[in-house]
Amino acid sequence: MIVPFGHVLLLAGLLFLMGMVCMVVRRSLIMILLGVEIMLNAAAIILVGSSLLWQQLEGQSIVLFVFAIAGAEVSVGLALIVWAHRQTGSVDPRDFNRLK
Amino acid sequence: MIAALTQDSTLLATILATMLPFVAFLVIMVFARNHRGLSAGLSIGAIMVSLLGAVFLLTRHWQLEVPIQYLGRWLVSGDIHIPFGFLLDQPSLLMLTIVATISFLVQIYSLGYMAGDAGFSRYYAFMSLFAWAMMNLTLAPTMVQLYIFWELVGLSSYLLIGFWYEKFSATEAGKKAFVMTRFGDVAFFLGLLLALVNLGNLNILEMNSPQVTERMSPLLITIASLLIFGGIVGKSAQFPLLTWLPDAMEGPTPVSALLHSATMVAAGVYLFGRLFPFFSHSATAMAVFLAIGTISMLLASTMAMVSRDIKQVWAYSTISQLGFMIMGLAAGSYFSGMFHLTTHAGFKALLFLCAGVFIHVFETNDVFEIGRRGGRRLKVPMICTVIGAAALAGLPPFSGFFSKELILAALADLKNPLWLVAGLLGVFFTAYYTFRLIFIILRPEDILDETGIHHDHGHGSYWLMGWPLILLAAITAVLGFFEGTLEDFFKAQQFIPTTGGGHHSWLSFAALGTAGAGVVLAWIEYGRRSATRIGFAERIAPLNNLFAERWYIDRFYRRFLDVFIYGMVSRGFANNDNKVIDGGIDGLSRGTVATGRFTSVLHLGMIQYRLLTIFVVIVLLALYFFF
Repeated sequence: MIVPFGHVLLLAGLLFLMGMVCMVVRRSLIMILLGVEIMLNAAAIILVGSSLLWQQLEGQSIVLFVFAIAGAEVSVGLALIVWAHRQTGSVDPRDFNRLK
Repeated sequence: MIAALTQDSTLLATILATMLPFVAFLVIMVFARNHRGLSAGLSIGAIMVSLLGAVFLLTRHWQLEVPIQYLGRWLVSGDIHIPFGFLLDQPSLLMLTIVATISFLVQIYSLGYMAGDAGFSRYYAFMSLFAWAMMNLTLAPTMVQLYIFWELVGLSSYLLIGFWYEKFSATEAGKKAFVMTRFGDVAFFLGLLLALVNLGNLNILEMNSPQVTERMSPLLITIASLLIFGGIVGKSAQFPLLTWLPDAMEGPTPVSALLHSATMVAAGVYLFGRLFPFFSHSATAMAVFLAIGTISMLLASTMAMVSRDIKQVWAYSTISQLGFMIMGLAAGSYFSGMFHLTTHAGFKALLFLCAGVFIHVFETNDVFEIGRRGGRRLKVPMICTVIGAAALAGLPPFSGFFSKELILAALADLKNPLWLVAGLLGVFFTAYYTFRLIFIILRPEDILDETGIHHDHGHGSYWLMGWPLILLAAITAVLGFFEGTLEDFFKAQQFIPTTGGGHHSWLSFAALGTAGAGVVLAWIEYGRRSATRIGFAERIAPLNNLFAERWYIDRFYRRFLDVFIYGMVSRGFANNDNKVIDGGIDGLSRGTVATGRFTSVLHLGMIQYRLLTIFVVIVLLALYFFF
């Protein structure tokens, strides 16, 4: 490996953390979806790095599956966001609070 | 025990005499509140039995040598034994008879006076309560029992002073009386504790025995005596706790006649007589008592000289005469104080009851009004008032003359002539203010015609009110001649230090002279046809104000209360109550509400809060599992 595994872990961890922060802090449903995407990418980095570490190809094949699922999920999610925007006129998650 | 009761008639008589009024009180309060006749009947029946019992006991044990005690086991703790029971010896038998007699006469009188009042049954219930408490007080064998009934007497006084509770001044007066006497009772209790700690028990006969000096140092005896005297100052309205008694005149007049002239306030003097041997061990304490008695006597006499209210004059007179009794006792003569207590009970109750008749008929307390509206036309009350006043002023042949003689003789035996001068001055003032009142009623400036008196009660109630007056006047007239027999009666009492009194033949003339001078001065100022009706004290405006404002003692108390008690102590406690206690609870509730609001956030449909919670938990779990 060109970089020590520790660096890969650190990168992926930081990326995951940033994805979490983006999900929690941003006031837009699209940004929540974006956060999910970032977290999935972080998981994918770990999978690729560990497949390189242990010289087995299954890790990288799992990543292909992950990307496919991420794409499907984003399409469904965006469809839901568009429907929600049509219903209430905003994409702010605070406006979807029906449980007072 | 029943067999013992029926065999021992003394015990039976004592128990019946003291307990029946309590039974009457309970029955009236529980069952007979709405039956006026039944309440009065129960109460008067009980007090009649008490009177018969008291007379029976007095005559049966006339030659008593050794005090009779009936004691039952009550408080036992380690070495301390405080029993409950009755002590029958000379002063208690005599006082029992006095209390029973005057209670009976006043209750008969009240049938006429309180007729038509809304609280008639309640009145008789409280009268019975008072009779029970007072009689048990006189027969108490231990100071603890005496203290209990002392407080009960104070309670019934409070209830009866504030009897017409819709009137604000009456409730204020009741509260004032209770708090002031309570204040004295704190000192009383401290003195009792001091005695208890040193003596092991509070049995009166033991406290009076000469062995007390072996167990308590003279300093301790002095301190205990001074503290116990605090209770006497409160109860008998001596200086400085004397302002509650004039205010206590807010109660019905029979209450004033019974409680605040003859019996309850006399309980203080009775206590003095009870513990006379104990107090005699300390000359310092007796000197202090003498001073306080003198000050009270003179102060109250001056206040009576300018008063316009008939009941207030007699109230100040009571304070003054109690001071006089305390002077006699503190000068070392036991019999003079006790005899004056007896005679004073008679004529002071008489004076109050007569005043009650005037107030009932004319519906005013003001002396000048009573005179103007024709007070002198009511024959029986007027004659009885004159008899009572003559006794009060110390004119022969009435009872007051004999008892005052004795006290002045005791004062003359003292080394310092100051006390005798003060005593004679007191006699002068007493005669003056008494006959001032008599002449204001007897010889008013102008007098209205007959329409001033209304006869809407019918002769029935007037006879009910009249007979007690006549009886008391008769007693006042003849009681003085019983001085010898009473003195013999008291001679057999144990532990009383006998005073070898010198015979002062000039004393009778001095006393008569000063009393006569007082009467003459009152005649000059109020009785003559050309009288100005302004007394010598009323002429001097500063003196008038001083006496009328009760020497500003009330003002002092008011200022003290406002600044210290209400301003500092009450405010401190109120702040504590509001800010600390209430504030704490409020803060707790606010915190709970805030926590609830905070946690309810999680129940909202807020996506991002829930996501945050999930992530925090994941991070914590990760940290936990990997470290």
